[in-house]
Amino acid sequence: MRYNLFNQTGYIIRFYLRRDRFLIVGWLILIVGLMGGAAAKFDSIYGTKAALASIVTTLKTPAMKAMFGSFTAKPPYTSAIIYASEMMVFMGLVFAMMNIYFAVKNSRTEEDNGTLELIRAHSVGKLSPLIAVIIELFVINLINGVLIAISLEFAGMTGTDILGNCLFGLGLAAFGFMFGMMSLLVSQLANNSRGATILSYLILGFTYIARMLTDVKNTNYTWITMFGLIEKLEIYTENNWLPVLYMVLSALLLLFVTIFASTHRDVAAGLIPTRPGRRNASFLLANPFSLILRLERISLIIWTCGLFVLGISYGSIFGNIGNLLKTNPSVAKLIGSSAIKSSNHAIILNFAATLSVVFAVIATIPAVITILRINNDEKKGWLEQIHARGISRSNIFFSYIAVALLCEALCLLVALLGMGFAGMSAKDPVSLLRFLRAFSGYLPAIYVVSGIAALFTALFPKIQNIVWILPIYGLFSMYFGNLLNFPKWAKQLTPYGWVNRVPLKEVQWNNGVVMIGLTLGLFLISYLIYSKRDLLES
Amino acid sequence: MSEKILEIKNLQKKFGKFEALKNITFDIKKGEVFGFIGPNGAGKSTTIRILLGILHANGGSAKIFGKDVWQSAVSIHKRLAYVPGDVYLWPNLTGGEIIDLFLKLNQQRHSARTDELIKQFDLDPTKKVRTYSKGNRQKVALIAAFSTAADFYIFDEPTSGLDPLMEEIFQKNVMHLKNEGKSILLSSHILSEVEKMCDRIGIIRQGKIIETGSLDDMRHLTRTVFVLETQKPLESLSQLEGVYNFKPVLDKEGVNKATFTVDSENINSVLEKLVAYKIISIQSTPPTLEDLFMRYYNQKEGSR
Repeated sequence: MRYNLFNQTGYIIRFYLRRDRFLIVGWLILIVGLMGGAAAKFDSIYGTKAALASIVTTLKTPAMKAMFGSFTAKPPYTSAIIYASEMMVFMGLVFAMMNIYFAVKNSRTEEDNGTLELIRAHSVGKLSPLIAVIIELFVINLINGVLIAISLEFAGMTGTDILGNCLFGLGLAAFGFMFGMMSLLVSQLANNSRGATILSYLILGFTYIARMLTDVKNTNYTWITMFGLIEKLEIYTENNWLPVLYMVLSALLLLFVTIFASTHRDVAAGLIPTRPGRRNASFLLANPFSLILRLERISLIIWTCGLFVLGISYGSIFGNIGNLLKTNPSVAKLIGSSAIKSSNHAIILNFAATLSVVFAVIATIPAVITILRINNDEKKGWLEQIHARGISRSNIFFSYIAVALLCEALCLLVALLGMGFAGMSAKDPVSLLRFLRAFSGYLPAIYVVSGIAALFTALFPKIQNIVWILPIYGLFSMYFGNLLNFPKWAKQLTPYGWVNRVPLKEVQWNNGVVMIGLTLGLFLISYLIYSKRDLLES
Repeated sequence: MSEKILEIKNLQKKFGKFEALKNITFDIKKGEVFGFIGPNGAGKSTTIRILLGILHANGGSAKIFGKDVWQSAVSIHKRLAYVPGDVYLWPNLTGGEIIDLFLKLNQQRHSARTDELIKQFDLDPTKKVRTYSKGNRQKVALIAAFSTAADFYIFDEPTSGLDPLMEEIFQKNVMHLKNEGKSILLSSHILSEVEKMCDRIGIIRQGKIIETGSLDDMRHLTRTVFVLETQKPLESLSQLEGVYNFKPVLDKEGVNKATFTVDSENINSVLEKLVAYKIISIQSTPPTLEDLFMRYYNQKEGSR
């Protein structure tokens, strides 16, 4: 008799890989493109000794440690070492996101849809679907890792070696797989896919912030933070394989706990129980606006708190930055200001200006999710009953928009406030109000992004997800734009690049008014298109 | 002639090149229960979604309360209640919350009638929708619809997830609305339900309305089933005009027993000729809706 826990696993793996092939290729292009594209450019940016020396000083500052991880390499420096140090944390983040995406999609979402039930009703082992997801994640990470190693080998930066390239690729793969297993475990605990995604990102965010704080305060502790393991590979210098072993062991441990948890629960049930809810609607729940607010309540709270904590974490290192940067004016190149003002304020504000873009981009994410929900909820059939009532399409459309605009404004505000409050601990603090310049400066820009998202929702409902390019490219161009010497136009492709360096500079009010006008125009056009087309069917 | 609640004329809808609705024409009068039947994919739900202003028709006109369903969707919906066959609701709200929300969206309140309906349908309103079965989600929509004071009710296969007990409660509530003089459009596959409650019926097939009328009207258009036993052999009977589906039952002595159907317009002439065969026993059954249904559904395209 065959051991029937694992019956048909091979078939399910092939089915999953086949079904996800376009998504897998999409992530591959994104990841390998980012890695290879940057690698091809690094030699020309850091070709001279002077450029290398200046970037090393920069990377050793706390602000840069907070963003890119600690810089531990010893001289002689090469562009490969700089590359490894700048890319590692960011790519780790991208790998973790890819793994959370596939892990939740192929485990918890399948259960929510009821697909898993159908599969399990056939002669398929109890554990087969789960094992299939695990192997699929393993394969995806491995392909990504190998292709990264190959692309690095081809890019041929000065200072690379085949061992380092392999370690880079496989290290990221192991790191991704570890977070994939974490997310699979979370999928067993949560009782729906949305909850599983939120919880996975919370854990990722927590490890990221822990990594940042240990990097700035004491790098000896970085490796405990799970996220920090990836910084200990010391690629192109020591080529340390030990962290890969740690990551694989952690992944195995998580894997066994996941399998244990999965065998101790029913399909479609979570280990976190559900409580009975309200018998009647509260008086607040009375129209589409309050309904959407109520549905988004949990994620709204999580995004707001998350951004507040992120703001506090960055703000808390302002004290370190003010002191050190004073002696390292070359950092100004990286932060992008041409004026090398050596006052602490200017340095802090300059760093704050870079962070503000990051906050602005992150604050757009919940808003774009909410706007795209207009079609996503429609497809799920949730809105059919609302359309059948005396509720106009404009009411529904603008309710989603209003929740989105409110949410992103709140997220941006709390992130800046968190940064400002925590920044008070610096020796010579900058006033809180000054940071709010970034709010007035970036709010119109992120509203334009929301306007574009609304236009996609109305005009191209089937391919609306393309709009995610805006925040992804926005973050990339703003985060790496200066390091990779992006031309000005390349940074201005997204609305994030249309804002000057607030809070360092004055707010350009006339610029803001134009963007608000543009936003209103986009919403109006979107609504006109939306009100005239068929709604989506499930 | 009484007031028309719903008026559909030559309604057409295309999805790309596919013609989902080719020609839909029917009316519903005030106080009438109209049964809308047809095979899967015939265009019932598409028609209903156009009536709700969710889809935009490509041609023809549809009016509810004399107003265009697309232009005046909001004002029409204030006097309308709708229950779809597949009810999808927000998984993280409770049934009770959603019922109240639906009532509020029509500027109405949770009433004693609502509580009574919750009790009748035996729904636990404190549970999150995530934990509800299909039938329970349908109950949420049904309770909200029945406790909404409207003039026109649209039900699209509303009982597909309900057990027979709940189906009966559904029928009771529809009859209650009927007695109050409300108008109802009921799309259903449960023919006994349609037969019991509907005043008139419309049959849709491949995007066209192929028949409308009361069940009695339709019976005239169809065939009666006969089971006949005679002393003389029956074979030649199948040659008669108006006799169809002739199925002989073979005995030792030859064919003395058979079942067949007769067109309504030929019944008289066929019966006159039957006497010659020396009848031992004869049974006739009037066509049920099911027979009608099967006859229309099995028709090949263009045979009518």
